[in-house]
Amino acid sequence: MTLSHVQELRLDNGFRALLAPRRSLPVVATVLWYQVGSRDERTGETGVSHFLEHMMFKGTQHFPKGQIDLLTSKMGGSNNAFTDCDGTAYHFALAADRWESALEIEQSRMRQCLLDPLEFASEKNVVLEELAMGEDDPWRPLYQTAESLLFQVHPYHHPVIGYKQDLERLSVDSMRGYYDRHYGPNRAFLVVAGDIDLDRTAARVNQLFGAMPANATPRAEALAEPMPQGERRAVLRTAHAVARLCLGFPTTRAGERDDYALDVLAHDLGIGKNSRLYRRLVLDEELVTDVSVINETRLDPGALFVLTELRQGADLDKVERIVREEIDAMAQDGVDKHDLARIRAQIRASFLFQDESVLDHALKLARFEALTPGGYKTLATVLPTYESLKPEELRQAAARYFAPARSVCVQAVPGRAEGNGAAAHKNGKAGKLKGGEPKDRPLQDKKDKKAGKARKSGRARDGKRKEKRRS
Amino acid sequence: MNTTAIRLEIAEQQLDTGLTLLAVQNPGVATFACAVSLDVRAGDEPKKQSGLSNLVGDCLDEGTEQHDGLELAAAVESIGGALEGNQRGGLVMCPAEAQRAGTELLREMVLEPTFPGKEVRRVQGEVLTEILSDEDDPRTVAGRRFRTEVYGEHPLGRPAHGTRETVATLRPKHLRAFHAEFFRPANGYVAAAGPEAPAKMLAMLRKVFGGFRGKAAAHTEMPVVALPPRARDVHVPMAREQVHVYLGHVGIRRTHPDFYVLSVMDHVLGTGPGFTSRTSRRLRDEQGLCYSVSAGITPSAGEEPGMFTAYIGTSPEHRQKAIDGFLAEIDRIRREPPTQDELADVQAYLTGSFVFGLERNSNLAAYAIRARRFALGFDFLHRYPDIVRAVTRDQVLEAAQKHLHPEQMVTVSAGAS
Repeated sequence: MTLSHVQELRLDNGFRALLAPRRSLPVVATVLWYQVGSRDERTGETGVSHFLEHMMFKGTQHFPKGQIDLLTSKMGGSNNAFTDCDGTAYHFALAADRWESALEIEQSRMRQCLLDPLEFASEKNVVLEELAMGEDDPWRPLYQTAESLLFQVHPYHHPVIGYKQDLERLSVDSMRGYYDRHYGPNRAFLVVAGDIDLDRTAARVNQLFGAMPANATPRAEALAEPMPQGERRAVLRTAHAVARLCLGFPTTRAGERDDYALDVLAHDLGIGKNSRLYRRLVLDEELVTDVSVINETRLDPGALFVLTELRQGADLDKVERIVREEIDAMAQDGVDKHDLARIRAQIRASFLFQDESVLDHALKLARFEALTPGGYKTLATVLPTYESLKPEELRQAAARYFAPARSVCVQAVPGRAEGNGAAAHKNGKAGKLKGGEPKDRPLQDKKDKKAGKARKSGRARDGKRKEKRRS
Repeated sequence: MNTTAIRLEIAEQQLDTGLTLLAVQNPGVATFACAVSLDVRAGDEPKKQSGLSNLVGDCLDEGTEQHDGLELAAAVESIGGALEGNQRGGLVMCPAEAQRAGTELLREMVLEPTFPGKEVRRVQGEVLTEILSDEDDPRTVAGRRFRTEVYGEHPLGRPAHGTRETVATLRPKHLRAFHAEFFRPANGYVAAAGPEAPAKMLAMLRKVFGGFRGKAAAHTEMPVVALPPRARDVHVPMAREQVHVYLGHVGIRRTHPDFYVLSVMDHVLGTGPGFTSRTSRRLRDEQGLCYSVSAGITPSAGEEPGMFTAYIGTSPEHRQKAIDGFLAEIDRIRREPPTQDELADVQAYLTGSFVFGLERNSNLAAYAIRARRFALGFDFLHRYPDIVRAVTRDQVLEAAQKHLHPEQMVTVSAGAS
């Protein structure tokens, strides 16, 4: 990918901006990315990152409550935000002749969010409703349980939306402290893409953000997750009629060479109709309706997940055995060269499709800037890196990451007992699980659930970064 | 935004079969999309075979005269494409360099499916599991029941996937017969969007789809949907955390002359961006009753009448408060016109945001089809701002009084009691 169109600004206070002109339509997208997410939350304050994201729309000193949405609407654009474990991002898509107001809004809410106590109390109800919505979803508890088993020490253990008790107890003063510690120009960067004048935009960024003090504390290292000493398992008794299975494996950081290998392995395993698991479980054995494989690398070592929904009467243990057999076969045989060519074509195309809209383009730049050691410039090496992966290297990566002793397995079984929404452990550490608590992921949304599935012929959408949207 | 600044190059040709070919240029992208949308209607499937057209769409890519399902998938994947069938045809998206190959695969999938028995039975099983899974989801349960209550015997009242009973009876021969009878060129559209010149894309479409022949299908007359004589309230209890509530009644067709006035009304009432609409501001932002809330009559307007639908997902103790909140706002918009500021804000939003629907190839192809199917004209893009700016406060009030009927609304909820 050519990056010559991207201009990088670095201000003295640590703030950075990437300006990416593109003039096919008179539109502009901005993304302001804060390097703070649920990973940075302390015990007892889970969910504060996401809740704070909601509050950033509830008024600043210059933009009273309701004004951010109203101004956006008047400008004929849209805004939204998401929080995940590694970051929080705010974005606008606006007409090219009026987009600069987005910068003024972002500048104001970086340090001047009102955090009004009455608004805080009202919005807490909204967040608790959002949490309740997730509890009704069949996938969220499954995924959340797998994640809490995978990460027993690292803060990836807890859900982005937080625990109900923490949210209920959270005070506006605690949130203000969190805001003061983590929100500042030295913990944020901006991406502006679209029909912009480079010089004028650079001057405006300097003018608005250049004088702000570098107030935020440096980002702390998270506790490293120790290597698992054996397989971890849980069985959830759910109120849903369909059985589901999730296998997870700890992996690596985003942008490392193995991340690319894991993307290819995810395709070979379960993305597309010609993937191993689709052929075996959906077509040959007819045990499941579909299968998803998500390589979710993160700032700190992430995980790869295999998710599947069983057909009525299918045996969960048999499905799990077959998944493991196919993983073993991949670790034994590697990726067939014809399959590798097909997978590379899919990945190349996915990359192109991520540039169709100006907001997608801005978000792609932002994600690479936030999550990979090389920042947005990594984009120039992404496709060559995929091309350079050889079958033997892939085979070794599969053997290294997908050993059974590193895995977690969560089965969701129909038939919740009255008053029992929690997990029953086979092995695992009792008391560690919070089976009723949702993971804040749109995997549960039907739209996204389908998008990540293999049933569609051809390219699957990139399921890598899952986010929580504000609305 | 001045939409005259947006140049949309579109080429069009109607073939003697009645199939219309459309090509839209999207300069500067390296990708391509092509959509087929044929004249397949909700009433084309018999009631006792509810779910048939959905299963036809799901099984289009399970095998053709040239390729079995896996070969077809491999062919698409090898060009970096994605191919998806639906009830009216399908969609292919691929890199622009592979547009001819992608379009050929789309044609093959839509026009030459064989519906192999083993694969149809497999997909049928998957659909049955999906139905079972949907029966678990209170939002889906409420939404489907709401649709049934609103449409009654109209085919749109049936669940698109069918029911467990109807889907279980479907056989490959039913799919083949349905496809042969209704996948015809007359009144159908093929629309491509990509970086090539429109004339060039049109020539390619002509080569690929020129051989698609067949007489027009005969369609069943759709029944008229009437408003119920009085309001009614249905609750489906389910052991869940939240309750999902739908309120509303039958709505309008896309071609209704009040469509644009009602679109403005929708944005004031319940479909505005962020929390600018009255219902999201009142029920979510001020009262904290929910995470998700909306209300509108135009989003579902199509060839058949859509629905006025107000939705909220909330805790069971807030159910009645949420319903009362909706009814209060519906009453208000029927009693007094929107303020001048509300009207101006919505007009600014609608005229400015239009362009964002034109960013992706698949959206451009859909726009071209919509412009033709609903006789909007390709200059619609440039006329739209004036149409929206011409809407007055009194027109919004009048349209709300004419099209919203709180005394005849159906309320359906599912979830926690």
